[in-house]
This record gives sequence, C-alpha cells and structure tokens, in this order.
Amino acid sequence: MTSALDLETIGGLARDLAPADFVRIVRTFETDLSRLVMLMVEQATAGNLEEYRRSAHALAGAAGAIGANRLAADARVAMDPKDTTPPRDLLLRMGAEARQVLTELAEWAANPGRT
Amino acid sequence: MARRARVLLVEDTPTQAEIARAYLSDQGHELRVAETGAEGLRMARDWAPDAILIDVELPDFDGFELMRRLTAAEVTAIMIVITAQGSVNTAVTAMREGAIDFIVKPYAKARLTVTLANALEQRRLSVELAEARAIITRDRFFGFIGGSPAMQAVYRTIQDVAASRANVFITGESGTGKELAAEAIHRASPRAKMPFVPLNCGAIPATLIESEVFGHKRGAFTGATEDRPGAARSADGGTLFLDEIGETPPDMQVKLLRFVQTGTVVPVGSSKGERVDVRVVSATNRDPLAEVEAGRFREDLYYRLYVVPIHLPPLRERGEDVLMIARHFLGAYGREERRKFRGFAPDAEAVLLGSAWPGNVRQLQNVIRNLVVRHDGDLATAAMLPADLLRAARPIAVPVAPLAPAATSFLSAVALPAVAPLMEIPAALAELPANDPLASIAAALAALVSARTLPAPPEPSQPRPERRGPIIPLWQMEKEHILAALEECGQDVPRAAALLEINPSTIYRKLQGWRV
Repeated sequence: MTSALDLETIGGLARDLAPADFVRIVRTFETDLSRLVMLMVEQATAGNLEEYRRSAHALAGAAGAIGANRLAADARVAMDPKDTTPPRDLLLRMGAEARQVLTELAEWAANPGRT
Repeated sequence: MARRARVLLVEDTPTQAEIARAYLSDQGHELRVAETGAEGLRMARDWAPDAILIDVELPDFDGFELMRRLTAAEVTAIMIVITAQGSVNTAVTAMREGAIDFIVKPYAKARLTVTLANALEQRRLSVELAEARAIITRDRFFGFIGGSPAMQAVYRTIQDVAASRANVFITGESGTGKELAAEAIHRASPRAKMPFVPLNCGAIPATLIESEVFGHKRGAFTGATEDRPGAARSADGGTLFLDEIGETPPDMQVKLLRFVQTGTVVPVGSSKGERVDVRVVSATNRDPLAEVEAGRFREDLYYRLYVVPIHLPPLRERGEDVLMIARHFLGAYGREERRKFRGFAPDAEAVLLGSAWPGNVRQLQNVIRNLVVRHDGDLATAAMLPADLLRAARPIAVPVAPLAPAATSFLSAVALPAVAPLMEIPAALAELPANDPLASIAAALAALVSARTLPAPPEPSQPRPERRGPIIPLWQMEKEHILAALEECGQDVPRAAALLEINPSTIYRKLQGWRV
C-alpha cells in the first residue's frame, strides 16, 4: 500500500519545525481527526447533513495541512452536496484511511528527523 | 529579523492554526488566533493587529465577507488570504476585497514567513508615507490653522526643536501667533506636563518686572507682604515664555542674562540663588538684530536667547490660510451667536484674500466676530464686511456666475473677460458712451454686477484722509481718519476702535480733546 502521507508536505513540516513543534502538531492533528470523525458520525446518524459537510470541510483542511491527501480527498467528497456516496460508506473508508495516517504519523513523531 | 508585529490568524481548524503558530514562532511576532469570522472582526477592532491571515472557509461567514466587514470597520491591517483553492477566481476575489497577497494550503514555512514579511514591510512604508504626507499637508498644528508652505516650515521647526532644551526666539508681527507658537513648542516637548508660564514683558512696569520674573521675599519692598515665587520659579521643569522681550529695561536685561547663563533665580530681597530647570522661549514683534544695533537690546543676551529662531509669517503672506482661519472663526462665532452661516460668498472670499491684514490673525478674528454679531444668513457676503476692509482690499479675480446670453455677448462686445476682477467691470461700463445702444443692457448688467461685487467706493462727500498731495499735520490727519472711521461705523465708537485697532477710550479722549 502506498503511503497515506504526502512526503513533501509531512517532510517539509518535519524539516521546517523544531521536533517539539512537529510533535505538538501531530498531537493536535490526532485530536482534530478523532473529534471531527466522531462529529461526522453523529451528524450523519442524526441526518444533519449541513453540519456533517462542515465537519468534513474542517477535516479536509486539517488532513491537507499534514499531507494526508487521500483522507483530505475523501473528506472533500463528503463536503460535496452533489455526491451520492452514502455517508456510512464514506465514513468507513475514511476510518480505515485515518488509521493508516495515524500509524504513519506516529512513526514520524517518533523520528521527526527522517526525511 | 522584521520588527515585532501583531499578527491575527482567523482559522477554525486547530491543526492549521498550530502549524501557522509554529512557523511564525521564531519570527518575533505576537500571534493571536480567532476561530470564527465574528471573533476575528472583534479582535481586529480591539487589538489593532498589523496583519490578518484569513482562512477563506470559516464557520460563520466566509473570509471574503470578513474582509468586507474589516474594511467597513476601517481596520487598517494588511490582509493575507489563506485558501485551499488556488484558483484564479479565488485570487482575484481576494485581491478585489483588499488582500495584499494569498497563500495556498498546504504551505511551507518560507512561503508564510516571506509573504508576511513582505506585506509588513509594505505596510510600514505605507504608514511612513501617510505620516510624511500628513506632516507636509497638515493644516492644523497645536492651535494653529493653516497649511501654507510658510506655516509648514514653522510647524517643522517647532517639531524639530520641541524635544531640545535650546532657547527659542520667535519673531513676527503683532497678531501672528507668537504665544501660540511658544505654547506649541511647550506642548510638543517632553516638558508638556510641566507648567507653561507666559509673561508679557511689555505690559509690566519697569519697577515690577524683576519681581514678576524672579519673585520676591516678604518685606523686600513696600507691599511685599509675603514670598512670591515669580514666573521663572513657577515654570520650573517647564517653559518660560518672555513675550515682548525687546521692551525689557536695560538693568533687567543684565539680570535676565545672568539667569539664562546660570539657570539660577535670585528673588528680590534675597541674596541666595535657587537653581531652576527652565526652557526660555522669547518673542518680539521688532527686528531683534536692529534693536541690538540700536543699542536697545544687549548683544550678549540676544545671542543667549536667539539660539533657534522662528519667524511667523504675516497673514498676508499665508495665501489661502486666510480663508481657512476665517471659516474657522465664522463657524465658532456662528455657533456661539446662533447664526446660520455656512461659509463665505465668493465676493467676501475675494476681499479676505485681497486684504493686507496689518493686524494679522487678531484683526481677522475681530472682523469675523463683528460680521457674525451684526449679520446673519446662509453665506457671509462682502457687503457684511467692514467698509474700510473693502476699500483697502486689492481686487482679486473671483469666478462670476454665468450671465444671461445677452449679458455675455455684451461682455464680449466691450472686450471684458468672462471672469474679470469684479471691481474692474463697473469701471469699464462707465467708459461706454452715454448714447450707446447697449446702454439699457449696460445698466442692467451694472445692477447685476453691483449686486454681486464689492460695494462702490465711498462718495466724494464722505470725509477721507487724503493720501497724496500737500503734507498736512499729523494730528489733523489722525483726526480726519478717526472721524472717517466713525462715519463709516455710524458713530459706533467700539466698532470704529476695532477697525482702527485702538482702544475705544483713545477715541473718546481724542473727541474730548477736539471738542467734537
């Protein structure tokens, strides 16, 4: 399987920032990711599609910022009111992708100096 | 590294905000984050950031709407848009709404720091330019009104010398604002919170001036029932303004010299000196060097006081400042007297601009006060101005309102320009032959012109001092001139006195002497 993280983006962050700052950003993203995915699940369950799309937008931004491009692309699909993919299918796909992102981020956080 | 700037980031995603914060952490800026457009607007108003980084997608309203609201709120911070959409449309919209630049996400540290540094530099230059423009074009400066080049030079000098302790010598005709300049120097200086003590040396009897300046001890002379500090000690830490310094008696000049040299005050009746920290600003309406050459003013004192000279230009050399000041007085006195005046008619402006103003701003102030007290209307016209001002004013070309076609062709027929000095038109009409077929038009035009122009010269029967011809005794000339002023003012002595710039009691005394 190809990497869940865009090496240029995550590598750039690792290169530009002090290790402590890099680790703090990874932690912030982990918090963002779990909060936003949970919100999307709740909002999809409640049928609140407007808030579901807003959370998807925030997730797309956060994921894009650390180079989780596939996750960001899934989130953008969820943002699109014209898309007909059932939210449940999308959320399952995003959950799997998120797990891979978190795994790879953990490796980066353990060794920010690798590029 | 750029100077410490205030940067506001409007971003609702913590990951994005944290990345920006980390990228900017070593730039020395102060960063605050707002998570919504409304919060960003409030923080921009309250905190006055130098730069605002704006995410386009915000929870409440989009970043472009935020920019519109920031502009409407007159927030002057530079705005940089951060967007995931790198399309041309987004860029164009961002620039149209006032963004100085935009950054596409995800972005590297260098992209953010360089963009922000460039934008802050651009803002710094804009602010400096605006400040420089404000200095060059300012038309008000501590109580002064006027934006003429001559006054701009005065403002610059005052600003330059304010921070220094150097003594300043102000020259200028009466009524040009010498005390105002001295006060401006004080208020612009680090001494602003300490006393500004003005003293008119010309108004104090020679026997009292030493006590007025240096104070006295109880019992120093008859009537000295208690210690008095004097102006120099009262001004300790601040500024002592010695107006009409040229009127100071010679023995007092010696004492002033010692005071300026040593900074020590010796009160009358005391042998003990007291040090004071006083900046001395002096002024005179005479030519100080001529006074030195004539032996009336000590040369050594002159050089002690004449460190930084400031010359205040007479009003006649200040161009349109006359109108600016006149409008100020018209507004102020109009409010005070509950008048409706909105401004001056062109004919009145021509008279104001054409007058020599020998009494300078003080005379202009009196003229406008007189006008407001005696008249009311939408516009102050030339007819409302004192007659002697109208007579003395140089004709100034003012635009004449469009005339009826017949009148315009008549003007061409007599080779008068459409825009002519108003006072010249009646003169040209008078030169037409009496049997001219255009006589009726001429008469109508004369009425039209006289209604909008300056009042006609006084009738020959009116007494007026003869300016040329045989020399007449000075007392006779003075008598004729005062009687003429009274005639002009309907025997109103205070008004005539104001026009003559003398005290009413002088007129009463003269009239008594002439048994008129």
